[in-house]
Amino acid sequence: MTSYRLPQGGLIDRGHPLSFTFDGKALQGVQGDSLASALLANGRRLVGRSFKYHRPRGILTSGAAEPNALMTIGSSGRTEPNTRATMQELYAGLEARSQNRWPSLAFDIGALNSLASPFLGAGFYYKTFMWPAPFWEKVYEPFIRKAAGLGRATHEADPDSYDKCWAHCDLLVVGSGPAGLAAALTAGRAGARVIVADEHAMAGGSLLSETAIIGGTPASAFAEACATELRSLPNVTLLTRTTVFGWYDGNVFGAVERVQRHIATLSPSRPVERLWRIVAKGTILATGAEERPLVFGGNDIPGVMMAGAMRTYLNRYAVAPGRTTAIFTANDSGYQLAADLEARGVRVSAIVDPRAAGGATYAGKARVLRDAVVTDAHGGRSLAAIDIRSGSRTDRLKVDALAMSGGFSPVVHLACHRGGRPVWSDEKAGFLPPANFGGLTPAGAARGIDGLAACLDDGARRGANLVATFGFTATPVAFGTVEGDVPVSAPAKTLWSIPGGKGKAFVDYQNDVHRKDLDLAVKEGYGHVELAKRYTTGGMATDQGKLSNVNAIGLLAEARGLSPGAVGTTTFRPFYTPVSFGALAGAHHGEHFQPVRRSPLHGWAARHGAVFVETGLWYRSAWFPRTGEKDWRESVAREVVNVRRNAGLCDVSMLGKIEICGPDAAEFLNRVYCNAFLKLPIGKARYGLMLREDGMIYDDGTTSRLEENRFLMTTTTAYAAGAMNHLEFCAQALWPDLDVRLASVTDQWAQMAIAGPKSRKILQAIIDEDIGDAAFPYLAAHEVSLFGGALHGRLFRISFSGELAYELAIPAAYGDSVAEALMATGRTEGLMPYGVEALSVLRIEKGHVTHNEINGTVVPADLGFGKMVSLAKPDFIGKAMLQREGLAAPDRPRLVGVVPLDPADTFRTGAHILAKNAAATLENDQGYVTSSAHSPHVGSTIGLALVKRGDERHGEEVVVWNGLNGEFTSARLCPPVFFDPSNEKLHA
Amino acid sequence: MPDLRALPALADRTPLVSHGIRLSPLPEGTVLQMIVGPDAPDQTANVERLANESGLAARPLSPGQWLLIGDKPTRRADMKHLLAALEPQASGIDQSHGRVRMRLEGPMAVKVLAKGTAVDLNQRAFPPGRSVATLIGHIAAHLTRHDVEDFEIAVLRGLAEACWIDLAGMCEEFV
Repeated sequence: MTSYRLPQGGLIDRGHPLSFTFDGKALQGVQGDSLASALLANGRRLVGRSFKYHRPRGILTSGAAEPNALMTIGSSGRTEPNTRATMQELYAGLEARSQNRWPSLAFDIGALNSLASPFLGAGFYYKTFMWPAPFWEKVYEPFIRKAAGLGRATHEADPDSYDKCWAHCDLLVVGSGPAGLAAALTAGRAGARVIVADEHAMAGGSLLSETAIIGGTPASAFAEACATELRSLPNVTLLTRTTVFGWYDGNVFGAVERVQRHIATLSPSRPVERLWRIVAKGTILATGAEERPLVFGGNDIPGVMMAGAMRTYLNRYAVAPGRTTAIFTANDSGYQLAADLEARGVRVSAIVDPRAAGGATYAGKARVLRDAVVTDAHGGRSLAAIDIRSGSRTDRLKVDALAMSGGFSPVVHLACHRGGRPVWSDEKAGFLPPANFGGLTPAGAARGIDGLAACLDDGARRGANLVATFGFTATPVAFGTVEGDVPVSAPAKTLWSIPGGKGKAFVDYQNDVHRKDLDLAVKEGYGHVELAKRYTTGGMATDQGKLSNVNAIGLLAEARGLSPGAVGTTTFRPFYTPVSFGALAGAHHGEHFQPVRRSPLHGWAARHGAVFVETGLWYRSAWFPRTGEKDWRESVAREVVNVRRNAGLCDVSMLGKIEICGPDAAEFLNRVYCNAFLKLPIGKARYGLMLREDGMIYDDGTTSRLEENRFLMTTTTAYAAGAMNHLEFCAQALWPDLDVRLASVTDQWAQMAIAGPKSRKILQAIIDEDIGDAAFPYLAAHEVSLFGGALHGRLFRISFSGELAYELAIPAAYGDSVAEALMATGRTEGLMPYGVEALSVLRIEKGHVTHNEINGTVVPADLGFGKMVSLAKPDFIGKAMLQREGLAAPDRPRLVGVVPLDPADTFRTGAHILAKNAAATLENDQGYVTSSAHSPHVGSTIGLALVKRGDERHGEEVVVWNGLNGEFTSARLCPPVFFDPSNEKLHA
Repeated sequence: MPDLRALPALADRTPLVSHGIRLSPLPEGTVLQMIVGPDAPDQTANVERLANESGLAARPLSPGQWLLIGDKPTRRADMKHLLAALEPQASGIDQSHGRVRMRLEGPMAVKVLAKGTAVDLNQRAFPPGRSVATLIGHIAAHLTRHDVEDFEIAVLRGLAEACWIDLAGMCEEFV
């Protein structure tokens, strides 16, 4: 005997059949079914195998807490493992597969583990797999992981899209059961902005399984009417299929909406899931309560089900649990179930109640056994019988379905995500949410309220009170008389364990943790709730112990002689239920993974064949290959030689540019830089070094004085944002007395370096003013007119290459035209584009530093800039700490050049410097190569290095040691300037 | 004399249009960033006056900062005059090429924007005429509400295309 579909009733559409498959077998359900209800309607009780013992498992619940009915849904990239059949809506063509079994669900070889169960108790692998140690990672762990476990993710790409969204409201209502609907209607009618989120497809929560009449309307129709009204209110958003999974700082809640997880044919333009970030002024936690299992032998046999779930399958999905049902209940909810079953013609053979006087109002046909317990259930892949003990007598009763109810645990998870701890209530026999912790207001069953009418009333009153604090005048909605409301009184005595059972009595179904495992944990010193969790694995995996944790705490409490409150709970953390990586990533993958920042000269560079390299978000032109060049080195060498011989054009638009204005701008810069800027003349640029407070160099660049109170600072590309933040901090926090105004203008200008001996001639062709050396000397900087006044830009005579060079800044939209104009003008002079690779070679040849050398541990003197530091200034950032003794130590690493003794030899950046004949040990480490390149000018590899007393060791033979590759290169230390040390070219 | 042409950052992008949403580039006209000194008195009235005189719209950017925005480029001489007029209480920085604007309008505009910005777009919280600095996804943006369903988004030029691509993706379910 097994479960079956009833001919009438339920919130399903029998006129809309849906075909689906389970483990390849074609089955049929109807519109409105969950996968679980459809399987039960088809008589499929066995739906999975347990984690460790591979025991047959059936559907235990009807909601989010389901530990057993985990399935893999879909195929290819849409494969979704560990889907709870209880939460999955049925759709036409759904493919479901059971997990953790081989070769089949019915005949699973892993079930042999049950025979070895005496050796597989809690912590067995800690004790068993101790030796030999290397076997743990190589043999034991892979084997255990393969033998145990849940579903497997696909390696195929997910073809669907995901989305993220923000939402704001006065009131967030989590859960749309009686309390949630009452709170939402009350607040919505008062005009508050309300968001109601419910994880199920239909609003209503427990109302959808109820047979009570509310104000003359059946509960399910009442729920539908409430939802219809909520949807009609413009200030209310009702989100179904939406699980609120976390509560975060700032009263932000995370929620995930299953937009298309229930649809056969997906719309490609819509996401399958949407992640909501909901900012709420106040929140009603109306998450209800979770029914607790009872811990008796064989309580996991398919056919044993939670009483509330059985009522849901019966009333909502019109599925009978079996032909002969027994109910084992420690509270009055079991009697409601019995009445409903009997009303639908399902025989209830017995109600087993451990209390002496439970179910006083029950008037049905079933035999009521008070002061009795179920000690064991029997059956293999389906329930066949139960043992009932009453006093000293034990009887066996043949049944094919058993409902159980051990009490109710308020769903407190969200209330505890920000540090609040649940509070044990003996009266309610459950953990209650912390009262008003962080402004979150529990309502209804989530705070232990019992009964339908009471929950409606509590939700309405709490909703009204909460929105009143936001200035809304709200009247609690009254819903009329509730007929058939049976308050489920808490058990007189919690029934954590049932003595006398012979079979395994499971506490945590998903992790195969049974009662003896917890006993063992306590005996072996792991009785603390956090230790017991780790020792037994109870409360882990996808359900996070939603059904099991409170029972486990109760059992630990019994074993330790404490109250459950004294044992306490483990820590609640997001996520309440599993959230897909797709939802967390949202749209940020592929071309949306991170923004691409394009230079205004990107198109120009692309037309000239640039190969681009990512530099942060920027795409920089790295080199410009030409036909016949066999590799990038050849292209770069050609570009370098051409700059030295003729001229090159390089896009430097992405260097940071900051305008510093205001009457105190000069004083501000004088404090920001370690060198002097107060008297920088208008129309001049100066190289500057910014230090950190600890005296180390932070960033470098040139700053030009364009007007008396207007400066333009350039920063490195990487530090553009950081430098801007640094300057804002200085202006706002360190020196608020200075009148200085800062603006990033990086994107305003297309900036190009024109470098090489012919650069002046090329530029002069488009610039109206005389830019000869006399009129526009080295470090000149000012606005210029171009093309006969058709355009204006800024010209700077600065050089990173060591050549006669300029940087021309053009309003960005005109950058492309001007670059092309320069290329046309310069063609006869041999002008070629060059990229950052060539730029790097040129600067290394010239001994110019970048953040390779400015590595956060160097002071100006280490790089040969000691004389730039103006200690005569009253103050500058880093001045005090720069004068620490250690920063002037004679053996500090200092900048030096390196060349191989044999020009055919090479070395790499990052390689270390050893004294000649020194052993290759870290103790003998003298420093390291910070930058290296092949220099066409020198004809070999050259490098810059930070070496102990490097500036005093020019000419010394050393060994460059690459410990990673085992390379040793004989080399010589030398001055760090390999090209034009007298700066004749620079000043040409 | 070469062919000097201003190349808009979104030159390759045509408006994205459906019955629910319209995303379109706005002209690269004038964007002037105005910053007042830390101790300057409230300049709101002055900013409004200057903007009106210059045919520009003033939009708050951050405390003591505004963007003065217009659809047409400002001639160099006029810009210099405007910059001079701001001094000494304030400084002006020409960002006409540094910021790129686009317009998002239609009944679905709020839903699209809510995918990118954490700003509360309810009319009570963010009424027409209000501007705010925010993020659209990963991209810093300056958002202005012109009308109930009409928004303007200004971003750094270098990120304009990336912002367009992101917004177009956000619009997809409404196109």
